[in-house]
Amino acid sequence: MKIGKIEISKIIIIVLVAILGIMASYEFLELRFYREDVVVSDSFTEEKMLSDWLPSIKNTAVDAPVYIFDSGVPGGSVLICGGIHPYEPATTLAAYVIMNNINVEKGKVFIIPRTNMSAATLGMLGNAYPKFFTIETEWGEKKIRIGDRATNPLHQWPDPFVYVNYPSGQNLAYTDIRNMNRTFPGKEDGSLTERGSYALMELTRKENIDLYIDLHEASLMYPVVSTYVAHQDAQDIAMMASMVLSASEFPMKCEVSPSNLHGLTHREVGDYSDAYAVLMETPEPFIDRVAGRMTEELMTDGIDEFIQTAAENDLIYCNYDINEGITMPSGYVVKGAPMDYRVGRHLSATREVITWMGQFDPAKEVIVTFPGFIDVMDNGSGFYLSDPEEADESKVFKN
Amino acid sequence: MLIALNDIVHILYFVMVGFFAIFLIKQFFKREKKRGMVYDIVYAYVIMVFLLRLFYIK
Amino acid sequence: MYLQATIVLIAMIATFAISSWKLKSTELSMVVTAIVGALVGGFGFPARLLVEGMFTFFDVGMTFITAAIFINIYSATGAMDAIVRAIVQNFHSKKWIVFILLGGIMLIPGALTGAGSVSIFVVGGMVSTVLGYMGLGKKKVVGFVFMFAVLSAVCPPINLWAMLMCAQANMPYVGFDIPLLAPLLVIGTFTIIFFGWGAKPKDKQEILDQLPEPIEGMNWIRISLPLISLVVLFLMQKYLAFYLPVLGLPLTFIICALISILCSPKRKGIKSWFSTINVTMEQVFPLLATVISVGTLVNIMTATGVRGLIAITFVTLPVVLIYVAALFFLPFAQGSLSYGSAVILGTPIIFLFNSIGVNVTIVAAALSFMFPLGDALPPSRIVGRVTISTVEYEGSYMSFLKAIMIPAAFMGGVALLMLIFANKFSFLVVY
Repeated sequence: MKIGKIEISKIIIIVLVAILGIMASYEFLELRFYREDVVVSDSFTEEKMLSDWLPSIKNTAVDAPVYIFDSGVPGGSVLICGGIHPYEPATTLAAYVIMNNINVEKGKVFIIPRTNMSAATLGMLGNAYPKFFTIETEWGEKKIRIGDRATNPLHQWPDPFVYVNYPSGQNLAYTDIRNMNRTFPGKEDGSLTERGSYALMELTRKENIDLYIDLHEASLMYPVVSTYVAHQDAQDIAMMASMVLSASEFPMKCEVSPSNLHGLTHREVGDYSDAYAVLMETPEPFIDRVAGRMTEELMTDGIDEFIQTAAENDLIYCNYDINEGITMPSGYVVKGAPMDYRVGRHLSATREVITWMGQFDPAKEVIVTFPGFIDVMDNGSGFYLSDPEEADESKVFKN
Repeated sequence: MLIALNDIVHILYFVMVGFFAIFLIKQFFKREKKRGMVYDIVYAYVIMVFLLRLFYIK
Repeated sequence: MYLQATIVLIAMIATFAISSWKLKSTELSMVVTAIVGALVGGFGFPARLLVEGMFTFFDVGMTFITAAIFINIYSATGAMDAIVRAIVQNFHSKKWIVFILLGGIMLIPGALTGAGSVSIFVVGGMVSTVLGYMGLGKKKVVGFVFMFAVLSAVCPPINLWAMLMCAQANMPYVGFDIPLLAPLLVIGTFTIIFFGWGAKPKDKQEILDQLPEPIEGMNWIRISLPLISLVVLFLMQKYLAFYLPVLGLPLTFIICALISILCSPKRKGIKSWFSTINVTMEQVFPLLATVISVGTLVNIMTATGVRGLIAITFVTLPVVLIYVAALFFLPFAQGSLSYGSAVILGTPIIFLFNSIGVNVTIVAAALSFMFPLGDALPPSRIVGRVTISTVEYEGSYMSFLKAIMIPAAFMGGVALLMLIFANKFSFLVVY
């Protein structure tokens, strides 16, 4: 049967597929344009954009807010980067908790909660991630988006067939040209992602950043999970921090950045600036390719039977137990790898390297306070996030 | 200069997607092989993918 | 979790079998399987996951379309026939040299781009024509083209499996040249002897008579410029990457297609080229639909935990069984997950072998010889299908699989030996 010249069956197919397309589009756009309301502490002094250090990324998808907390007291300076890989969302949440609660007594702190803004606008292709996860707060649920690992292809397309890292010349897999933690030290006239990395390097150099902290989450089958990876210049700082944490709060390993592995912050920031570069990883079961169902619960409670099997077969590189739990040096028993545990790890691990930089290099001392592992384990991350509705308007930002 | 060239290439890819989408849409209605309804469905969702990219949605 | 994922897996296998049989379309069957998997797995009808999955291999689809457009336009200029004519005229009596030459030509596009299908698109048609004239039956031709296509993907400088495993394991992608080239030479030689043995070239004059008349005005510049441009663009993108915009494979092929049009001795109207593109699009559509559909299947396998179930089952096998099972699991993973298989199964194996003190560069090289065998396996069968359509092989898919069985098994055997005796081969790793 036909309507005009077109068969009815074709029309029905068009309508059904269009409905599918519209349903999916609604969700794609919802994730792309969603922004979290974040509240900053009284130590906040200024919001800038990453493009202030590299104008060519202004009004592009990789431009990102940089929140500055300046004590006014001379001291060192620290840059804390969350969300360079948005599919590691405890990094962004940890940055939000710090921003909301930090008190800076000496020195200056720069925080970028979503370092690759473009990558936070889409889901992880082929990995079926949920769009959001929610955490409980005193004032209700807070919804936070989960993104991809790499820059959105809508913003940077095409990929080359091989990515050649600048300036090392090292060959990396083609998708790594959109992976901001493979494009360091960046290229001033390179791809969007390379320029994002370059802007971060410019910020580091021009603001005389003394300590560059790059927050990550890792697969449990990745050897540097629950680890500091430090540039050789930052080795002593990270080593001391890891010893203190492992003795008092949670197990934390320490590795030195391999000298021949290029494109990552722990190598290039150390080589191309005067900053101490430290990257830190928490265990995120979601990233493991052996993980089971991809649900929001897995993102927040980190409990997965398949990873438990991997743990029982000694295939993972950190402690993990979903049944009895793991007793931490601080006395907490942790089952799986829940969000609060991962956020808490980042908070204390950040605090500890800042402290030890001051110990080793007093001229660069930065004195800060913000909640740590024990606080978050006691109260939950949500406890440390203020209600944007109730907060002073000048302290609330869309991020 | 390189930035502008990268931007031009980026746009060219969307032009290519649009160009291929036209052929796919044409073949949805009229093609030589695989004319059954099953392939109408396959054509329809492949076209949808091209259009979602072309319209800057995904 | 185990039970639930197993139920979903069974439901998906059953759906795939039934729908493949009823619908006669692997592409739609994959999408139907994904929908059923999502329903059984308790995800309802996840519109976003279904559509998002379709974008997983979108760029691969774009590469297929543009590579096919390039080569069909190039052939339409008459250049391909001229190359075939020249090879027959000059090398007709030296069949082994022809086979080696054709094998070598097959390796280049895949080696430079990391994709075996590119080799088939660019030179597969020409190679299969010449092989036919050199006395190889269709079965042997299809086997030869397939084997060299997968070898081209493994061939350095670009080996995507090794690169992805390195990226996941934080290892630099260096030192792979000889561990990849040495076995490749052995497997390539075996493949040539296996398919070429006993071939009796047809009479030279008879072949030349069958070929289309040489086109007036065709010369070596017109013939070679599009191909040289392609190789130069590949090389520039790798070795002059800092000074060029990122072109990507699809645009590279389109540029070369335009160069082909400019080099054509026959002046054809725009309508004629459009008609070539139209025919190409229809020809390449089943492949395009396959890569679009398989992404959806993978996305739902992941969402429901089926991917995790398969991966955990494999990586928790005892090491001895991993040796045995690798040759089965890795190719099948490749068949459904494409390059994702290197990340999902390859990386845990690297870590596992690293922890027992085995040279991981050799392990990664060995694994990268196993994965591509799966390019002939369901559900996607991508390289297998590209080969069949390019060579215009009319036998059943099973007969194609039989045709490649022995050299593929040989390739798997070499890879397995490398894996088992990895430390004995560590001398091959030269930085």
